[in-house]
Amino acid sequence: MIDQLLSNNMAWASARVRADPQFFRRLSAQQAPEYLWIGCSDSRVPANEIVGLDPGELFVHRNIANLAPPRDMNFLAVLQFSIEVLKVRHIIVCGHYGCGGVRAALDKERRGLIDHWLQPVADLAHRHQTHLMAISDFETRVNVACEHNVRAQVEYVGRNPFVTDAWRRGQALSIHGWIYSIRDGLLRNLELSVDRPSQVDELAARQWFPDA
Amino acid sequence: MTITGMQSPIERVPLDLLREPLVWFFAEHYRHRDVCSRLLVMARTVVQEPDALEEIHDFLDYDLAVHVIDEEDDLFPLMRRRCEPDDHIEGVLGMLSGEHASDLQLASAVKSLVAKAMADGRGLAAYADAWAVIEPFCVSQKRHIAVENAVVLPIARLRLTASDLRGLGQRLAARRGLPDPFVQAS
Repeated sequence: MIDQLLSNNMAWASARVRADPQFFRRLSAQQAPEYLWIGCSDSRVPANEIVGLDPGELFVHRNIANLAPPRDMNFLAVLQFSIEVLKVRHIIVCGHYGCGGVRAALDKERRGLIDHWLQPVADLAHRHQTHLMAISDFETRVNVACEHNVRAQVEYVGRNPFVTDAWRRGQALSIHGWIYSIRDGLLRNLELSVDRPSQVDELAARQWFPDA
Repeated sequence: MTITGMQSPIERVPLDLLREPLVWFFAEHYRHRDVCSRLLVMARTVVQEPDALEEIHDFLDYDLAVHVIDEEDDLFPLMRRRCEPDDHIEGVLGMLSGEHASDLQLASAVKSLVAKAMADGRGLAAYADAWAVIEPFCVSQKRHIAVENAVVLPIARLRLTASDLRGLGQRLAARRGLPDPFVQAS
């Protein structure tokens, strides 16, 4: 089984070179992605593939439930490097419907360490529990929470000092919130894009539910 | 006298309606009602019509499942984003989402029955439980569609923007492996 992956790799690299003989030479010379992708670790959401980008075009950070935790060294290192060294122009926070992490944060079952990682999602759900509990269908509730989680992460990224420093320097940088459906392979723009601090404030003031 | 009333195949929704996605939903709902009517007739028929059974099976297997995604992962989230507090939309959407889950379960039972009839070369009425399997699905579908047509789609017409509708039409097409309907049109 595992050898198959190495064979697949050989076939992939060979096909790449056949299609574009300079591909790997060009790729190894420079990494200059315009985008930072903050997505979920879910194996069904392959970042490069769903946006049709080649290796080298998307800097990727993935974790369970596509979080942007302000005290996670891994995330912060990725964020700082992508902004200050790679100088990405767009940060995309991409969640997906049916996210197992969001579902776990909502169902209140104890799973161990993962519960601590998902605490921000559980907190978000708790803050909006009156509205979320009004959604009778659990899977729909999970999907609504998936969208809200993307929004919360866009706000966290928008308030992150690395981002606000970049804006203060006049660096062009936009943050976007998207959601993906594993059931159809399509992305939806959640219209959460911000490119300056005042827009983060406006986003924070926006209502979360239609009947709020 | 016709045995099943199945003279013509189930009508396809014209692809140009993808440029008017809410009309597409109405048309798709009409097809669902049509399928239910056909199923209720077939549930009383012992003579097998292989083409009609296959068409129903394909509808339950593919069209219905994709339609649920059209609503659950596309139309309903858009409406949640656009609706006003006075629309009181969450209660309706929550109820409909719950029904989608139960409808898919009912549809699965109907699909199994249809597959069995296809394999056995028999009409649906040859099975003692045919009516008990088919009727609840059809009753539920018709009621569900009535709510969507009377409540959800009129509010969608009021609240969704031209840009929402364009994106919705494009995703309806992409979900079915069809080209962008707006590029085709221009």
